[in-house]
Amino acid sequence: MKRTCTVCIALVALLSLVSLPLFSQGTADQAKASGPTTIELWYGAAITEAGPPPADWVGFQIIKDKLNIDLKLTALPSNESDQDVKVQAAAAANNLPDLFMVRRDVLTRLVPQGLVAPVDDLYEKMPIRTAKHYDEVSRSHARFNGKTYGLADPGSINKNEGLLIRKDWLDKLGLSVPKTTDELLAVMRAFTFNDPDGNGKHDTYGYGAFQEINNYEAWPGRRLEPIFGAFGVDGTWNMTASNAGLNILKPEFFDAMSLLKQMADEGIIDPNWLAYKKDDFRAAWKQGRFGIMREQNAAFAAQANYAPFDKNFPNGEWIIIDPPTGPKGHASIGPYTAGFRIYAISAKAVKEGKKDKIAALLEWMASDEGYYLLGWGVEGVNYTKDANGIPVAANLPNPDLAFSAPGGQTVTQLRNMVFYNGDIELYARYPKYITATSKKEMSALDVLRVMQTKKWTPAVGSDTLPIPNADLKRFYEQGLSEFITGKRSLTRDNWNKWIDEFKSLGGQDWNDKGVAFAKENNLLN
Amino acid sequence: MVQKSGTKQLIREIKRHRSVYVLLAVPFVYYIIFKYIPIFNGQIAFKDYMALDGVLGSSWIGFEHFRTFINSYYFVELLRNTLMYSFGKLIFSLPLAIILAIAIYESNRPHLRKIVQTLAYLPHFLSWVIMYGILLALLAPGDGILNDIIKMFGGKPIDFLTNTDAFPWIVILSDAWKEMGWSAIIFIAALMGIDPSLFEAALVEGANSWQRVRYITLPSIRPVILIVVLLRLGTILDAGFNQIFMLYSTPVLSVADIIDTWVYRQGLLEFQFGLATAVGLFKGVIGMFLILGSNRLVKRFGGNPLF
Repeated sequence: MKRTCTVCIALVALLSLVSLPLFSQGTADQAKASGPTTIELWYGAAITEAGPPPADWVGFQIIKDKLNIDLKLTALPSNESDQDVKVQAAAAANNLPDLFMVRRDVLTRLVPQGLVAPVDDLYEKMPIRTAKHYDEVSRSHARFNGKTYGLADPGSINKNEGLLIRKDWLDKLGLSVPKTTDELLAVMRAFTFNDPDGNGKHDTYGYGAFQEINNYEAWPGRRLEPIFGAFGVDGTWNMTASNAGLNILKPEFFDAMSLLKQMADEGIIDPNWLAYKKDDFRAAWKQGRFGIMREQNAAFAAQANYAPFDKNFPNGEWIIIDPPTGPKGHASIGPYTAGFRIYAISAKAVKEGKKDKIAALLEWMASDEGYYLLGWGVEGVNYTKDANGIPVAANLPNPDLAFSAPGGQTVTQLRNMVFYNGDIELYARYPKYITATSKKEMSALDVLRVMQTKKWTPAVGSDTLPIPNADLKRFYEQGLSEFITGKRSLTRDNWNKWIDEFKSLGGQDWNDKGVAFAKENNLLN
Repeated sequence: MVQKSGTKQLIREIKRHRSVYVLLAVPFVYYIIFKYIPIFNGQIAFKDYMALDGVLGSSWIGFEHFRTFINSYYFVELLRNTLMYSFGKLIFSLPLAIILAIAIYESNRPHLRKIVQTLAYLPHFLSWVIMYGILLALLAPGDGILNDIIKMFGGKPIDFLTNTDAFPWIVILSDAWKEMGWSAIIFIAALMGIDPSLFEAALVEGANSWQRVRYITLPSIRPVILIVVLLRLGTILDAGFNQIFMLYSTPVLSVADIIDTWVYRQGLLEFQFGLATAVGLFKGVIGMFLILGSNRLVKRFGGNPLF
């Protein structure tokens, strides 16, 4: 029996080895002269809660007929870290798709590995797309050692967030819109302790936030930038020629931290803010937990997003206010950069002779046919055009298939590859509407326009500056958060000691490299 | 001649026990593909891995990745946190699972037993994402149910999820809550195997419930408990990535960051797969020595060893 088992085990092992190729994810899909070229595309979904384009999506056939391309789509995870892991895992196996969306941080790691191809020669092969999508700022966004390794398409709209306050609470308490940090604190206190919603309970707070950080908006992140902006230290980097460097090393950062600490100690910032994830934060303002926040225009005012608040508080009203002015006259909603979505081409795809086909595909996407098909679907099925030529979800035979309805959203999943924040898109994306309960007229576009008029800190290119290693990043974030939670005492002495440790751990080197990079690339204002 | 008859006998054996071999083949193939073949790629722990050069083509760098890990600023803290959670879970979850198993086994109300079993198993099937939502609803300092109760009695709310003193307890206790029912299954199975005549004899002798548990139940399932502990020791440096990753936030990193979360940030997010592999290997070697050592100890003290 023992011998029998041994032989069987050997047989199974042999079988499993022989069958390995069946499990491998080889992409030996060579472009054949006769058949269509297969292009594997990993895209960032426009609507993460909706599924991918269906197998019978008309776009697949059009792309095959017109471009002789067999397009294979895979949606990347919506979470950025998960996206990075997926792309990097594929990269580690030298199994990147032909064309894929990638964050710049990841691209900086893939370029030295030789896994992505330069795209400089593609711009002239895509004249329509290049004219609409790629200016010099875009090209330099993914440039490394003189070569551009990714097509940086227009991403999120600049300055699309604002500082909002509950006007109905201000009115009820007889307060005016705060203009300075002192006034802001006074309003926060009133919102926390004076029962602004009149329900007789202590269940409201002044300010609401959560930790939302990225490489140019370091801890505590963008939701609290108006506080740090009041001290001139919003964002990771100071991008002025006269004072360039990490904001954390500026003396004013301590003052900003002191104000945040005061908010936490007085309990006038929602105490859940350190535990909230994005969805918790958004659910909280819709439930009336706090009266001041920094929020994005569509997350605040788009019909579906505003509806729960409208239902809960028909008399509730948020207004966009100027960022508070600090003791030295600084004020800012936060830093802004040119937001891009980078699509890179794998070196493997170029080796397989697919580069021109990819250029043809991207150029077709930017044509009128591709733009409307990917942006809104099929005219008469997923959208109609109004008198101004703006796509609208009206007068459709089956409203469930409208581009804005769940049934139609799947066919617009690639729209971020064609949108460039033009007027047509904005009007179509943010239509005016009347709220269901309070019958207010709302428009996320109007909100956006107001938000853009507020004071922001120019920091274009700050998202391309060097990033710290994981240990230094942790030291930075953990240290700051510990000062706020009280685990470390926020005194000048302690702060200076901590800053010294930060510098010795590599913080000074990070600062110096960042400044040198910014100077070298003319990013300073 | 002997060889020929041996082959025939083998074929006969396979035919006779074919269902067993089919059952064996599936996990066996799984282990070959997903556990043994990747061992070959483990060599990148000693290489400067470049994806284009592949596993074989990348250059050797010796123990560089191991040095990077051991010399990392947070190494001691990572090791401390990892061991704290591993042993903490072992110390809390295991006895709770045993107690639950005994309670279920001893219960003479079948309906109640089924309800308790189902309720105890249920959390195991919830992902940590959902568990985080539940914990937030329970423990949030602003409006968590537990803090509402604390406030009702005049207490000050506790920020359980962002407080360095409370966080380790939340991790250990939430894990116990989630996994206790599932872990109890193996002990319930062991309890089912105890000869009922032992209990009958004890009853006749006038033993009460506690005495039956102490002198029959626990000694009878001791081999299973030892095996479970031994197996857990092998993965002592796996402190539960999914759970910690969901629960931790910057204010509690000093007590929450474990080896696996560090590897995620430093290895996977920073494209240092060689480093990630080196840490995996480090964990595996420590786990192996722990299993071998404890197996030896079990043998020495007359228990039933794993091998």
